[in-house]
Amino acid sequence: MSSVCFYFQVHQPWRLRKFSYFDTSASLDYFDDAKNGEILRKVASKCYLPANRLMLELIEKHKGAFRIAYSISGTALDQFERYSPETLESFKRLAETGCVEFLGETYYHSLAAVYDEAEFRAQVRLHSDAIFRHFGKIPVVFRNTELIYNDAIGRMVSKLGYKAMVAEGADDILDWRSPNFVYSVPGADMSLLLKNYRLSDDIAFRFSNRGWEEFPLTADKFSKWVHAISGGGDTLNLFMDYETFGEHQWEETGVFEFMRHLPDEVLKHPHWDFKTPSEVVSTYPRVADMPFERLTSWADVDRDLTAWRGNAMQNKALDAIYALGAQVRALADPEITRTWRMLQTSDHFYYMCTKWFADGDVHAYFSPYESPYDAFVTYKNVMKDFRLAIERAAKSRIVPVLYVDSAPATGLAFSA
Amino acid sequence: MKILMLGWEYPPHIAGGLGTACEGLTRGLARLGIDVTFVVPRLHGGEDAGHMTLTDPYQGGRSWTELEYGDISWDEEHLQRLGIEAFLMPYWTEIEYKERLESVRHAASVLTGANVHVEPPPVAPSGRAHYGRDIFDEVARYARNTVARVAGLEFDVIHAHDWMTYPAGIALAELTGKPLVAHVHSLEYDRSGTHVNQRIHQVERAGLHRANAVIAVSHYTKSVIHREHGVPLDKIHAVHNGIYPARAIEQYRAGHPEAPQHKVVLFLGRITFQKGPDYFVRAAAKVVPHVPGVVFVMAGSGDMKGRMMELAETLGILEHFEFPGFLRGKEVEEMYNLADLYVMPSVSEPFGISALEAINFDVPTLISKQSGVAEVVGNSLKFDFWDVDRLADLMINGLIHEELRADMTAMAKLELKNVRWDASASKTLEVYSGILH
Repeated sequence: MSSVCFYFQVHQPWRLRKFSYFDTSASLDYFDDAKNGEILRKVASKCYLPANRLMLELIEKHKGAFRIAYSISGTALDQFERYSPETLESFKRLAETGCVEFLGETYYHSLAAVYDEAEFRAQVRLHSDAIFRHFGKIPVVFRNTELIYNDAIGRMVSKLGYKAMVAEGADDILDWRSPNFVYSVPGADMSLLLKNYRLSDDIAFRFSNRGWEEFPLTADKFSKWVHAISGGGDTLNLFMDYETFGEHQWEETGVFEFMRHLPDEVLKHPHWDFKTPSEVVSTYPRVADMPFERLTSWADVDRDLTAWRGNAMQNKALDAIYALGAQVRALADPEITRTWRMLQTSDHFYYMCTKWFADGDVHAYFSPYESPYDAFVTYKNVMKDFRLAIERAAKSRIVPVLYVDSAPATGLAFSA
Repeated sequence: MKILMLGWEYPPHIAGGLGTACEGLTRGLARLGIDVTFVVPRLHGGEDAGHMTLTDPYQGGRSWTELEYGDISWDEEHLQRLGIEAFLMPYWTEIEYKERLESVRHAASVLTGANVHVEPPPVAPSGRAHYGRDIFDEVARYARNTVARVAGLEFDVIHAHDWMTYPAGIALAELTGKPLVAHVHSLEYDRSGTHVNQRIHQVERAGLHRANAVIAVSHYTKSVIHREHGVPLDKIHAVHNGIYPARAIEQYRAGHPEAPQHKVVLFLGRITFQKGPDYFVRAAAKVVPHVPGVVFVMAGSGDMKGRMMELAETLGILEHFEFPGFLRGKEVEEMYNLADLYVMPSVSEPFGISALEAINFDVPTLISKQSGVAEVVGNSLKFDFWDVDRLADLMINGLIHEELRADMTAMAKLELKNVRWDASASKTLEVYSGILH
């Protein structure tokens, strides 16, 4: 037997509002409520709601034979609660089928794994709690932000009790090996599932590309490629943004119809089924250790971290936010801690990326800013005010806190 | 293909970006094998233009009255309707008008060799002419002399740069039947906003409507031409300016280790309404309290310079300002090398080539969205010229974060590789081909 293992990433950041050097906010009001709501409701109507309907339909039709996994960031869950409760409800209905697994990640979709281990652990715990609260399940497979991974992160996650982790099947890491087997993290009792980026990207990126020689991609054709792996792999890991359905690939491209017919076509072959990540790692043996000596991610052709920390602005902004860790922990103020974390979301740094800006290719990014420089200016202006807020809070404390052992576990809760 | 180009200035004797643009474009055309004869009002010596024939109407030692027109096919009827001289006159009082009407008639008849009907110019008690009264005389003289100068010359296209050369362009187009390309580097609207000089506006309009094709230095200017003059959009072609790769730049700052450590914000351009100098000064006043030791340099001359000094004084920030006047050549390079930020707060900037020069000298740029150069430079911080708070915000961030400056300059420099005069020349050639077939 071999299995198709789908994992879909669901994430939305808290985008910043326009914030000038001269602006101040006594209430840590840094986020663009109107824009965030507008974007979330738009994506919900184009992607989350119709895609969830489709997945539910497929799960019911195939009576347990079609199985998938999601990783939903905490910031996305919070935005569902605030702007689109029906989206959260539809994910809960999917959870109730028993055919859907939810992966763990950092609540704030942050780079804490690279910058602040204590903070990383706190955010992972927050996220696990949130998944249990919403879906009644505790994640056992972990997905780090943007599939950012190396051996150290693997061992760190292993210590938190996860039994498996997903990572990018980068060419230089795999070398001659196939991504279609279960591997293990060197020095840890943990499995590693590697994304088959060719077949994943055929759906996520190339599906509607008329210049692609395989255009148009049909469920029949794709399944033939899947079946061709038979005997050459245990698992085909198809990892992609959930927004592929209806947002990156519009409904008009036929991406929903493709997905509607895919399970039928895959299951035509008696040796193929669908499994969730935890089922894959319980079913198939670990074939070997897979060392990741460098930090990888699933981004761009480089499969590295340069999309988030590839230039001087990004490094300065990242250093600045993580430099506040000790002060924020010492204060243990729920509002300040929550704001600090919302400012850690990877998207803020992605918006500052200049990698392909030399070609004037402004549209390479989904960015609310005119330019990466604008993103940096806004972020630094917010940070300046946020630092002042921290100083004010520190001064107003009557009893100085000498030592706080770990980060407070505060989730996000809006009063509205 | 032979092009007759009519220009108003040529480096190094320039008052603005027009001459620089003409040099870049003609060099690009020369590399495409295009034969260009370029006529300026006067040669000063020292021009480096081996790539084409650069001339003024006086070359050959004869005055225009001595030349003969045997090779030009005359169409007197057309010329009589032209009234070229008429729209070259500034606002006149009634007395001035009467006094000079005769001389104009005389000049016009000499120009055309016939009796020309002269449109009576409007009479206004006090006109606000940016070029002074003499500019119209100069433009008229240029038109007459150029028509005379090029008699007998062979060319396929007449290419006229900005309104000063349009009368000559129109006359030659009428005389020879050759197609006219009107190139817009700057409009009267850009220079004067709503207070346009109506005579200049009319000359501009006549040239743009007579032209077989119009070249605008940006999409921004294309839209302004369409709006202000009603020229159909399909007749206007946006051709961005380019820039040459940076020359070997002397590191002035590195050579002066004792140079003061203060931060320098540079405004470099004419200190006139069009360039938005008052927004620069008002934003500076908001920057000073947050960036101690900042210095604002306003390099250039212009009719608003005195008022800007007064404004800086009124705002209590005059000690943070320097007004070195109009800079040339090496002085400009040195100034760019001293600058930490280049700011172009133009109210209406058809292109804004100095922003590209700043990038060439590794200076990060803050440019107004009301500029053509904003269309070709993505690696810049952009603002609406009227948004003083936003400009101050960007200035402060630009000054206090060297990472922002470093990333912007590095990326902008890469981006400039796509902004080359060769590309401008190729597009211009397409325009020529379009009207010749």
